[in-house]
Amino acid sequence: MKRFFYHLARLTLALVFVYAGAVKMQDVVAFAGHVAAYQLLPYAMNYLVAATLPYVEFLAGVMLLLNARVRPALLVIGAMTLVFMAALVSVLLRGLAIDCGCFDPGGGQDVTAGVALLRDIALMVLVVLVWWLRVRIEERGMRNEERGMRKEE
Amino acid sequence: MFNDLKRIGLEACVLIAFGVLVGLSLNHQLLLDAFSGHLVSLPRQIAQESVPIALPIPALIDEVQQVAASGGLIVDARSPEQYAAGHIDGAVSLPLVEIDAALPDFIARIDKNRTLVIYCSGFGCPDSFDLAVRLIESGYTDVRVFEGGYPEWRDAGLPVAGDEQ
Repeated sequence: MKRFFYHLARLTLALVFVYAGAVKMQDVVAFAGHVAAYQLLPYAMNYLVAATLPYVEFLAGVMLLLNARVRPALLVIGAMTLVFMAALVSVLLRGLAIDCGCFDPGGGQDVTAGVALLRDIALMVLVVLVWWLRVRIEERGMRNEERGMRKEE
Repeated sequence: MFNDLKRIGLEACVLIAFGVLVGLSLNHQLLLDAFSGHLVSLPRQIAQESVPIALPIPALIDEVQQVAASGGLIVDARSPEQYAAGHIDGAVSLPLVEIDAALPDFIARIDKNRTLVIYCSGFGCPDSFDLAVRLIESGYTDVRVFEGGYPEWRDAGLPVAGDEQ
């Protein structure tokens, strides 16, 4: 049962980030515009973020999808989500009415900072959940191994 | 436990470094353009679709200041709302979305030999280019496009005007 929830949460998180990365890679310039709308970085730095962030998102998502290097990938995803949340909070505090630019940069549907922040909180919960379940499963695996060894003796 | 965390942290850094490297190598041309201030990324579809008689000349930020100082006119191609919220100081509003209604009045007021610099929201925003093409077609002789647009001007700390200032 624990294993089922682990894989469910892991795959959900993986797909969110693979999708988010892939869709932003398609139009780096438009994504740079979304980053610029946050008015947090100097002009050209927006391009630097737009040119690198989608690939890190995609890669971390793929690692989770493959169930390989799960905790490093979770750390990367958790750190990114924290940065997103900080940026969104600053948007809310400054009262900017911008699209969060979380997913499709070309899409017309605007997602407000408040909704995006709630979504990021849900992602953080998933990150912690996957990490915790992973640790529990590994512990149980180790105990089973010990038991097996004792039987052999 | 501590060694475990160290390893995880290290692997996370490698993961980030790898993603950043891939991103940098795939987008290096765009980044070089952005950091050298040469943002001449004409929207692809426009470059293919129409071949106007003359194309507008791209203008860098210093050139925009020179043109403004020597009697040229800065034209804002964005929507009236965006213009009202904040625009380059001294710019006039000629929104591309209302071009058909606003163009006759603009032609009546502005001499066709005056130097015009068109801008919009930067970042591959096509409106300034489209508007410049329309103005050239209407007979204006010296039309330039400031590709960096309002964001570059504002971030450079140059004078702006509007409600948000």
